[in-house]
Amino acid sequence: MRKKGQDTPVLVIGAGIAGIEASLLLANSGRKVYLVEKTSYTGGNVIKWEEVFPNMECSTCMVAPKQQELLASENIELLTLSEVEGVQGSAGDFTVKVKKRARYVDLEACIGCDACFDPCPVEVDNEFEAGMTKRKAIYIPCAGALPNVPAIDTENCLRFKGEDCEACKEACMFEAIDFAQADEELELKVGAIVVATGFDVFDLTKAPQYGYKRFKEVYSAVEFERMRASNGPTEGEIILHDGQPPKSAAIVHCVGREEKGYCSAVCCMYSFKFTHYLRDKVPEVKVFELHSDLCIPGKSYQKFYEKVRESGVEFVRGKVIEVAEKDKQLVIRYEGEDGKEDTLAVDMVILTPAIEPRAGSAELAEALGIPQGDDGFFSGRDLELAPVDTLREGILIAGCAQGPKDVGDSVAQAEAVAGRILSLTR
Amino acid sequence: MEKKIGVYLCECGPNIAENVDIDCMLEAVSSIEDVEVAEKYRLLCSEDGKEFLRESIKEHGLTHVVVAACSPKQHELTFMNVCEEAGISPYLFQLANIREQCAWITPNKEEATEKALRYTRAAISRVRYHEPLEKKETECSPDVLVIGGGIAGIRAAQSVAVAGRKAYLVEKSSSLGGKVKEFEKLFPHMNSASDVIERETRDLLAKGNIEVLTESEVEEILGFLGNFQVKVKGKAEDEERELSVGAIVLATGFELLNPEELLRYGYKKSDAVYTSLEFERMNASGEIVLKNGKTPSSVALIHCVGRGEKGYCSRACCLYSLKFARYLKSRIPGVKVTHFCSDLCIPGKSSQSFYEETKEMGVDFVRATGIEVAGDGEGVTIEYEAHAGARDSLAVDMVILAPAMEPSRDARKFAEILNIPLGEGGFFAEEHEKLAPISTPAEGVFIAGCAQGPKNVADSVVQAEAAAGKILSTLILGKRLELEAKVSHISDAFCTGCQTCISVCPYGAITLDEMRKVSVVNEVLCHGCGNCVAACPSGAASVRHFTFTQVYQELEAVLR
Amino acid sequence: MEEFQPKIVGFLCNWCSYAGADLAGSTKLKVPSSFSVIRVMCSGRADPVLAATALLRGADGVLVAGCHPGDCHYREGNYYARRRFALLRKTAETLGLDSERLALAWVSASEGQKFSEVANTFTEKIKRLGPNPMRKKISL
Repeated sequence: MRKKGQDTPVLVIGAGIAGIEASLLLANSGRKVYLVEKTSYTGGNVIKWEEVFPNMECSTCMVAPKQQELLASENIELLTLSEVEGVQGSAGDFTVKVKKRARYVDLEACIGCDACFDPCPVEVDNEFEAGMTKRKAIYIPCAGALPNVPAIDTENCLRFKGEDCEACKEACMFEAIDFAQADEELELKVGAIVVATGFDVFDLTKAPQYGYKRFKEVYSAVEFERMRASNGPTEGEIILHDGQPPKSAAIVHCVGREEKGYCSAVCCMYSFKFTHYLRDKVPEVKVFELHSDLCIPGKSYQKFYEKVRESGVEFVRGKVIEVAEKDKQLVIRYEGEDGKEDTLAVDMVILTPAIEPRAGSAELAEALGIPQGDDGFFSGRDLELAPVDTLREGILIAGCAQGPKDVGDSVAQAEAVAGRILSLTR
Repeated sequence: MEKKIGVYLCECGPNIAENVDIDCMLEAVSSIEDVEVAEKYRLLCSEDGKEFLRESIKEHGLTHVVVAACSPKQHELTFMNVCEEAGISPYLFQLANIREQCAWITPNKEEATEKALRYTRAAISRVRYHEPLEKKETECSPDVLVIGGGIAGIRAAQSVAVAGRKAYLVEKSSSLGGKVKEFEKLFPHMNSASDVIERETRDLLAKGNIEVLTESEVEEILGFLGNFQVKVKGKAEDEERELSVGAIVLATGFELLNPEELLRYGYKKSDAVYTSLEFERMNASGEIVLKNGKTPSSVALIHCVGRGEKGYCSRACCLYSLKFARYLKSRIPGVKVTHFCSDLCIPGKSSQSFYEETKEMGVDFVRATGIEVAGDGEGVTIEYEAHAGARDSLAVDMVILAPAMEPSRDARKFAEILNIPLGEGGFFAEEHEKLAPISTPAEGVFIAGCAQGPKNVADSVVQAEAAAGKILSTLILGKRLELEAKVSHISDAFCTGCQTCISVCPYGAITLDEMRKVSVVNEVLCHGCGNCVAACPSGAASVRHFTFTQVYQELEAVLR
Repeated sequence: MEEFQPKIVGFLCNWCSYAGADLAGSTKLKVPSSFSVIRVMCSGRADPVLAATALLRGADGVLVAGCHPGDCHYREGNYYARRRFALLRKTAETLGLDSERLALAWVSASEGQKFSEVANTFTEKIKRLGPNPMRKKISL
């Protein structure tokens, strides 16, 4: 893998916490980094949460200095709205084809004043907020997103449907909106590639017995996180659709575990976090955690579990048969430990879906020429001894792209990837 | 020195100009003492804005620059660079936030203008007292000391020993391989552990710039990031080495909790009860045979031994217990294997299938609490409480306990030598659980493997590589360490040697100069938080760029 | 008669509370114009001497804001800020200062709303207390 001569640049795919950490370490050592990110913002999944377990630390505060460092780094070229299309070559000498979609807003000229949002006539569901609020066709995903520059959603913007709308451009005082921008095809020459594309969650509509999208007070973990977020749709208030806080809530573990065939490692812990969210915001709420085996690995997690337990939440070991609606409440029918059926009636149900590889992973695996497991996660060369190397020399993986794990383990893998690259390549 | 201050007001398009009367501000600011020039501009952070600034600074021969615009978190660095490009120290600059914290939060234009003026005056008052800080650098050693020759230590040493660097691997015992060399196989792929250790050790020794010191122990470590002085004692009485390294990796591994203290498990009371490590050794020897010479026909695997007492889950035991079931099934056809556990902890993409395949081999699982091992003769009885609340029992020939993983007995010694805290469970405390899991509060000292917390081989290897990643990106070959400029400074004229600052510094950056009896700041370690300043009773401590005078000037100006 | 606009000084830490105040700005919330912010790197830097000086120099109220306990960018600076602040409040009376004019708040980088609330609430409180008597005693 060693190529004498100049230090070769590195391509990092995914600007979530793992991608950011790997990029920063490589950049600090003097390497040039191309950080390719599919969306218009950095921070991935972690910035969607208000707090992280086990210390309930403010997630955005925790990540912000890293994002700032990233944006200020001279060695990192951040390419948002970009995707890798193909890779040729070998370790030390890769040629990567990247499609860089146009933002239609000038990153240098835009000062992030948001004046272009109001006049836009198009309103669509905001994916960042799990569809709980709307955004315009020119948008930033949430308050505080970095880079703080909007992008135009070409699927919904009227211009891309043939209409001559210039509402946003007219509202911009900095001439930052540029319809003349075009998608670009870039060719990057790099010595190594890091795949840090993170995760999506199991599609809950595939398990209709849980009532997701059938009953309105059944929430996915993603929706519940956004509800609790200070910069989210309810500014952090936990309320039902009628605007009132729930009197009771059930958090259902392991949703999709059977379908996916693995334990996602973080859901028990974030379920406890959810109990904490609920009791913090709605002190009188009665909380139930419906679980199978509790997965609380490591030296610091059990304490949090015990603290949450003591706060008066009821742990019920059982397997959900189905969720139904009766008299404005949700009724969970489940099979208890002893095999007997029982029911639980609550105002709100929160489902913890399994962690899956990102949508598009199969295409990326093909473009990169690296294998995926049956579960869709990218495969390490040797699960025990070379977990972050892939079978293609020079291409490494980190974070949830490799398999479900928490933030600490994702960051450790990102640092490991930087270690591999710095010790094996030049 | 004659001061010539340039004051530049940014309109930020309509963002500031619409809510603040820039022209009124210009007039007011121009008449302030030392202000050589006051200008407004539409967008100072743009390319032509920056060009305008550069030209103006040079044209007027300015000594200091104040910009009133957006938040310093947005563009402080931008304008500092402009100053540097224009030939003045980037520290002789102050940015007044008249956008996020003025124009955007004050609906009344008159009030907003007054506030913007207040902030600008404060910036001008402050900048007069700025110092042109020097960016300092220090020499550092690129070499690395790895303490502990287990799998994590071996991998860390291999990774850092790149051309131009040397790694020292210090191991207490006579051989490398740690605990892993005692295993037969590694889950979940069940590959040979001894092959792994052999290969890794061979690769390690093949690298020219790694020195392995077995039967050696680290006795003393002095210094800090880039400049550690280490004393290593060898087996012989007079054998002592002194090493100079830039970074240290603690890979001291784990020990198992001694279950003898937990009377209910019958360890040492009955010959039929083994710990997991004892069983690994037995299995690796080729035969599973009890002390009485008989082959067990039924085995109980008890999970979570000592979990309640220790207060944490050791993360690897459920999986290695499953591995044990496989060992048993492959060596003893027909053996009855029963796992006793309350919750099965099998996270990760490969663990569940490992469990399911093991189960299919005909292994039983009993969800149980209140487990007790009764009997002291041959064969014992497992007494337990199943979920229904009723107690039940199972007679078995052999019991294998999965005791909690504890830190190495040497953890405390190194925590003291390096002045780093021990955290949960007595394992080394990481700098930040999420964002810096293998760094410690002592810069340049990293932790990897079970020294950081109980885990399996794969995660230990990741952490070892991560330590290498941090080291290789911090101590760069051929480059000196760049230091933060806005650090603390303690005046020896005013310091009384009370050492209060030393006790409050979160980074251990202050030490006492024994000779002069005053506090001295290590600028390599100082982060400039200013806690020492607030603690100092004599006013000897001050943080550069945030001195009392500078902050006071800002304060006085906003109160006028 | 002109309504009394209290001069309040807030010492905000760079990493959390200053960022929170910026966010209040980005989201166009209201903060009293008489509330002046001074940036320090850590709430641990907010010396009781600075707070006392501010009151002696005529500030009607002084606020110190930092990261939530456990989130300090410098590990534990905010814990020291909390202790010092408690001590300052206790000794304020001895110095002839009204301890009610001192406040401590934890504001995270994503709590723009909270910053606005804290600033407005504290300003209202100080309005009710009236002008700092120190203002008349010390002539500048």
